Amino acid sequence: MTKLASLRSALCGATALAAFTLPTVAQEISILSGYPEMTPFYERVAESMKGDYPNLTVNVEPITLREHERRVALGLSSGLEGASVIELSTSTAGRYVQAGLMPAAPADISEFVSDPANFGQFFVDAASYDDTVYGVPLFRGQGALFYNTRMFAEAGLEGAPKTMDEYTDYAEKLTQRDENGNPVVSGWSLRLSGGSQGIAEKWWLILFNHGGTLIDEVSPGKWRAGYANEAGVKALGQYLDNIYDKKTVTIEMPSDAEAFEREQTAMFIRESWVIGDIAAKAPDLEYATAPLPVGSIALPVNLYVAGDGSTEDMQAAWDFAKAANEPENLVWLLENVGWLPNRTGVDFSSVTDEIEAFSAFVDYPEDYTFFTVPSIAVIEDLQTRLAAKLTEAFANPAMQGDDAAIMAFLESAAEETNAILKREGLLAE
Amino acid sequence: MLRRRRFRFAILALLPTFAIFAWVRMGPIVQTMNLSVRDWDLIGTNRPFIGLANFVELFGDSLFLTALVNTAIIAFGVMLLTIPTAMVLAGLIHYRTRSRFAGFYETSVFIPHVVSLVPAAMAWKWIFDAKLGPLNALIVSLGGSPQSWLFDPNLALFSIIVLCSWQALGYAVLIYLVGFRNLPTSVYEAARLDGASGIQAFRFLSIPLLKPITLYVSVVTLVSGFNVYAQAFVLASDSQGAPGRQVRVLVLDMLENAFRNYRVGYAAAEAMVLLLIVLILTGAQFALLREKGNSK
Amino acid sequence: MTRNQRKATDFMIDVGLVLFGLLMLAPLLMLVANAFKSPAEMVAWPPTFIPANPTLDNFRSVLGETPLLLWIWNSLSFAIMSTIAIVLTSSIAGYVIAKFPFRSINVVFALFLATAIVPFEVYMIPLYFQVKDLGMLNTNQGLLIGYLVMSFGIFLIRQNVLASIPDELIEAARIDGAGELWIYWHIVLPLLRGPLAALAVLAFFQAWTSFAWPMIVATRRAAYTIEVGLALFSTGYTVDLGKLSAASACVLVPSVVAFVILRRNFVQGVASTGMKE
Repeated sequence: MTKLASLRSALCGATALAAFTLPTVAQEISILSGYPEMTPFYERVAESMKGDYPNLTVNVEPITLREHERRVALGLSSGLEGASVIELSTSTAGRYVQAGLMPAAPADISEFVSDPANFGQFFVDAASYDDTVYGVPLFRGQGALFYNTRMFAEAGLEGAPKTMDEYTDYAEKLTQRDENGNPVVSGWSLRLSGGSQGIAEKWWLILFNHGGTLIDEVSPGKWRAGYANEAGVKALGQYLDNIYDKKTVTIEMPSDAEAFEREQTAMFIRESWVIGDIAAKAPDLEYATAPLPVGSIALPVNLYVAGDGSTEDMQAAWDFAKAANEPENLVWLLENVGWLPNRTGVDFSSVTDEIEAFSAFVDYPEDYTFFTVPSIAVIEDLQTRLAAKLTEAFANPAMQGDDAAIMAFLESAAEETNAILKREGLLAE
Repeated sequence: MLRRRRFRFAILALLPTFAIFAWVRMGPIVQTMNLSVRDWDLIGTNRPFIGLANFVELFGDSLFLTALVNTAIIAFGVMLLTIPTAMVLAGLIHYRTRSRFAGFYETSVFIPHVVSLVPAAMAWKWIFDAKLGPLNALIVSLGGSPQSWLFDPNLALFSIIVLCSWQALGYAVLIYLVGFRNLPTSVYEAARLDGASGIQAFRFLSIPLLKPITLYVSVVTLVSGFNVYAQAFVLASDSQGAPGRQVRVLVLDMLENAFRNYRVGYAAAEAMVLLLIVLILTGAQFALLREKGNSK
Repeated sequence: MTRNQRKATDFMIDVGLVLFGLLMLAPLLMLVANAFKSPAEMVAWPPTFIPANPTLDNFRSVLGETPLLLWIWNSLSFAIMSTIAIVLTSSIAGYVIAKFPFRSINVVFALFLATAIVPFEVYMIPLYFQVKDLGMLNTNQGLLIGYLVMSFGIFLIRQNVLASIPDELIEAARIDGAGELWIYWHIVLPLLRGPLAALAVLAFFQAWTSFAWPMIVATRRAAYTIEVGLALFSTGYTVDLGKLSAASACVLVPSVVAFVILRRNFVQGVASTGMKE
């Protein structure tokens, strides 16, 4: 019996088609996802594995991102039961990989990921640590402008704004007001409230397009707040101008994808999943997308495998991560869910040709730049605290138009950011 | 001999319950104290002792201080709104005990106290919604201007206070009703013969006589107010189309520090602060009661 | 005051109380009404109170898309187990503390009571790690560990034993040669039926409405209680208020009905919390 088992595991290691060695044993893996809209995709991947794994049960367990991150933190620190495929962004996964809580990918998977024909270096690095592959790249969060073409035409605007200044001008022209001058349809929907951290993330994207960044890696592994400067003043100034001077948006107006789908806002910046969401909820909406003036966030999300499952189950989990990257599954993902797959060498033209909106995510200018959220454990604490401060700033009309006051505010916020970095020994002196 | 046997039975009978208490209550409480003076990141095995550093940091932490202030405002706000309302309401319900609607009064006031928190909070989230909610519809139809209940920092706090009071009211009314039923009727008879009106009797007899009950209900309301969490969580829940302002309260900040920022020791220090507040409030209650007992 | 004046005042008070009662119930009634609205009506302005075209779509899709019944079952079995545990531990401990006046037992009682002051949230995190070490995350047993005992329950039973069970009764049974356990089971428990029912209802609703604890113990969809399931209710990026209302109504209606049926027990139980001092 033991002999047989070791023979099996040897076979499993040796071949990616390990399933053939175990045709009759029931197998089970769980897929832990933080994006509920990915559920049909994972179910489809599970279906596509039926040929190789006829007895495999796949439990897809999606919950909202925050709760997902919490269950992963608690699960990994105590040891997950069974074999689980865990979907995590590079920035969140980093600390678990560094703490040795995530196993490295087996040889065949590592080979698949490292093959330049499959993934660009950026994505390979994002799934690796110390040159060892730990995860399988899957999709990325990348932002672009979504705008309502009907409203643009009515306002006499052609094409998307091209500079950050134009964003405010456009927003002013696009805002629809009631007889008292209060906006009823916002010109540009900004993230002004909600579950803390997101506010900082969205502001970061605007900041980046003004030439700043939230934290700067001054030397390897050492960071510093990068927003108490001209770019920061412009970014926060732009928010305040839109809220209090141009009055293109208010804090309590409906916002985000939901508002865009209901034509309660003319434009907003978001990731590509909105395309899938619009297709499902507002298929008749007339809209287009455009790249941002300077560049966007690119947040790679990878699939990792952890848990105490049997060798066979663990291998099945890794094969699941690989099967998710099958070209036909990825095309389905792009078309039906809207998240951008990271794999290269796949022909997505059937989708991008048909759905014009994807072009802004795929065909961006040559000099378009990307940034990503650094993989440090305090990044969330840091963003939550900045978000709390930003929320106060957004509610403060007195700061509007007063660059000195904005600068003073940013300096005090940066001080806090640096203090947190210092606490963790990550501050660049 | 007999006493011995009885003692043995008592100990054996108490043992299982006591063991459970030690295991699920006292143990964790002691552990919280222990963790509060340590630094632990949830995934490491290292939990170095760092003395009072967590507490020192807490009192310079703007988020924690915001949470503390918010929680205190909510707790006292709920108390100030609930106690007088409950007393008047209980007085009226007691006065109309023989009304054929008496059962309805009691049930309707009490139901919010027993329904699950989340559905109730969802209902209120809709009511307070700036763009869709009936509250603003009512205000507009009365000629007022709509308010952004869940976004304005003060109104968001107010909304939570209303929600919590709605839930707490039933309990307070019930306790007051018991109080009213136990009041000596002879005193009221005498007052009535002296020509006191119902309002006068309430003002000069009921309120002073019910003082111990007021004290008790106030402390219970305050303490549960300090534990507010689900209400804030749901009212600002991150549904991205219609988010609300995140009202930071103690328990929320604590859970975020423990499970999101991976600072379990720091969160435990917060828990100790919460415990301290509750102990002070309870202590104050006992002190007030004793003072009252002495003055008699 | 004349008889008529008096009648008029009474009438006014009744009207006031009925209106207030309806106001208290209004949020819940509106929630139930929302459950029957179509998505378009849900976002209409001004909001409607009675659905113009009532539809059952919300209920259909909620029952089809979410394991709502499983969540209700989880909550129900957790609440029932917790009720049994609390009634058992409270009744025996309350009885012993009331009728066995030993100094050491009084010390134990003081300890029990003292922990009642400590909010659950204070020691929830270490308790979570205990459950985790037992491998009971995402199980009903794991949930139960937080709700096995209730200090107030012990106190409630003790007060009732002191008030309603005379020492002579127990002494008489002892003289007849009855064992202590027999006395507890055959004499004490039957006499405590009323307060135990009150305690049971209290314990049940306490577990049924718990939130913070199940929120951290249950991380798998299949293990959610109904409260957690509703709080995390979302299908993608946007929350569908109609569906959410339908799900909430499915939970609300049975618990309100249960409450109305058990009202007397409940009122008695809660009222007795006021006897603390």
